[in-house]
Amino acid sequence: MRSRWGLRATLTALFALGGVLLAGVMGLGTYGVARSYLLDQRERGTLRQAFADASYVRDGLLTSGRRVSDVLGAVSPPAESTVLVQRRGRWYSSSLDVGEAALPQALRSQVGEDSAWVQWASVGGVPSVLVRVPLPAAGAQFYEVTAADELQRTLHTLRTVLIGFAVAVMVAAAVLGRWAARRAVAPLDAVAGAAARIAGGRLDTRLPATEDPDLATFVGSFNTMVDALAERIERDARFTADVSHELRSPLTALLTSVDVLERRRDEMSARSAQVIDLVRADLDRFHRMLEDLLDLGRLDAGAPMRVVPGLDAVELVRQTLLDSGRSAALLEDPGQPLLVDVDKQQMARALRNLFDNADRHGGGLTRVSVSQEGLAGHHPKVIVCVDDQGRGVPPEDRERIFDRFHRDGSRGSLPGAGLGLSLVSETLQAHAGVVWCMANDWRGARFVVQLPASSAHAAGES
Amino acid sequence: MLVVEDDDGIRTSLALALEDEGYDVDPHASGEDAFAAVSAHPPDLMLVDLMLGRMDGFTFIRSARTVSDAPVIVVSARDDTHDIVAALEAGADDYVTKPFVVKEVSARLRALMRRGRGGPINEQSGRRVVLDSGPPTLVLDMDAGRVTREATEVHLTVTEFRLLCELASPPDRVLSRQVLLDRVWDRGFFGDERIVDVHIRRLRTKVEREPGDPQIVVTVRGLGYRLHTGE
Repeated sequence: MRSRWGLRATLTALFALGGVLLAGVMGLGTYGVARSYLLDQRERGTLRQAFADASYVRDGLLTSGRRVSDVLGAVSPPAESTVLVQRRGRWYSSSLDVGEAALPQALRSQVGEDSAWVQWASVGGVPSVLVRVPLPAAGAQFYEVTAADELQRTLHTLRTVLIGFAVAVMVAAAVLGRWAARRAVAPLDAVAGAAARIAGGRLDTRLPATEDPDLATFVGSFNTMVDALAERIERDARFTADVSHELRSPLTALLTSVDVLERRRDEMSARSAQVIDLVRADLDRFHRMLEDLLDLGRLDAGAPMRVVPGLDAVELVRQTLLDSGRSAALLEDPGQPLLVDVDKQQMARALRNLFDNADRHGGGLTRVSVSQEGLAGHHPKVIVCVDDQGRGVPPEDRERIFDRFHRDGSRGSLPGAGLGLSLVSETLQAHAGVVWCMANDWRGARFVVQLPASSAHAAGES
Repeated sequence: MLVVEDDDGIRTSLALALEDEGYDVDPHASGEDAFAAVSAHPPDLMLVDLMLGRMDGFTFIRSARTVSDAPVIVVSARDDTHDIVAALEAGADDYVTKPFVVKEVSARLRALMRRGRGGPINEQSGRRVVLDSGPPTLVLDMDAGRVTREATEVHLTVTEFRLLCELASPPDRVLSRQVLLDRVWDRGFFGDERIVDVHIRRLRTKVEREPGDPQIVVTVRGLGYRLHTGE
């Protein structure tokens, strides 16, 4: 049950159950006591009345010459009571409605017994008190039947009230249970929130210290765990950063030296020239990889971005195309500036990585389009679509290709560090944007970059 | 030109590469040696690594600036934002970050050497611009390549002077940071606009009466900078 119900639902149900049990027991007890008390009261009252009436009837019967029916007519019992008299085998009644048939058979047959008794029985469907008083002096039996339907109504009302009370208690208990459950679970919510923030990369998140002795240990171990985790991640990141920083100087020296060598190509043998070309190609690849690594390190370290407010995304794409030695004709110009707030160097590197990816893995970049989606004031987005004419990316790989060092097996032989797309994804993340991969109309891959449109534009640029 | 770089590999290869480009290179491994060389023979250009031994790049630039107005390009292994801004504020004119390629360095050098002091600025050259009608009067003389306050010359670096000339030809016209970056530093679309901001700040401390409340080099919010003349 616990596994199917939530902790909150379980606690609520348990509280409700407890409440209804408690209210039920108390209600039943109250009802029992009240009922027996009321019945007892009623019995005594009836008995007193019956003895008074019996004594009157006896006196009447003992007065010679009076007929039983006259005597009964003179008795004036309360409205709900009927007096019955049996004399010499005949029954007389003070009421037309109630005759000797009202008396249970068993009672009527006890004619011979000279004892008085009081008893409850149902008369015509109404619980009534039956009282018998033998009148030996008059040679008669006196019976008085008193309907107790008002007692019945009282008990009914009491029952209703108690049931209503039990229901109210159950509801109150359920509400209390829900509240208690929420209180009990609240620290868990805080933990869940903190864990989500940590998973989102905010490693400085900690649970606030608490006075609650039940929670203090837990909060302590949670925070210790996050500390250890953060330290580990930081150490890894620092290691990567240190390694890439250390690699810069030798790489720079290598790049410069190869540059000097390349200038002397003419003096070299064909073989040497070939080797220099090989070195150059791999060195360029190394250079790109290191720059990607350094950029990723910067993004990981949360280095501040140099956001240019209200930068034209169309111009950014055009300049990035030109800067990377491509034709600006690849750009499908929307004919109007679409402004975004981005770090232009970082965003240019991200775009360039997408273009390089299209050229390297997608059979060539075919088209780049820039457009805007959504109306002003409704968080409009600027969309950049980068299309290639390759074989596309299978749906199951469309997320994984943004992982670091992910490489499609079939593309493994092609150059590319597998860092480029992850840099794109992390750059976009840092800009509150997103990038995804889909198929285009030519069965190639389309990488879609979505950025929030500049708020400087909406506010009306000065 | 002077090259200060403590990494042997980079220093040697850079010297070779720049010699190939036609520069007369004077390489040094430490800030102290280099400063002695600068004092003895002021170079036309300086290429300085920020991470040096005892005398770091910032200190070297500040000391070198006391004896030379020549353009300084900083090589930063740390492309840390603070380092670059600090170096620019210390007096550097531009920067490259490691790992760099020679093409990049020579492009930066060419840009800063493109138009030396006193050279033709553009068609508008040969003008004198009164920056502050004074007293004391502040005059930019493009032909003589100097700025004078009354009779004394205001000391500007080559790049600061060129920036002032761009703003002054003609004056009272708003130039965006992108345009200034392009004209003075020959940096394209992806140039770092902070270079302009830091140079404007440096320029203001030299020409303004109250650098905190500039009256000559005025910021036009959201657009760029404008030279307000005293004429």
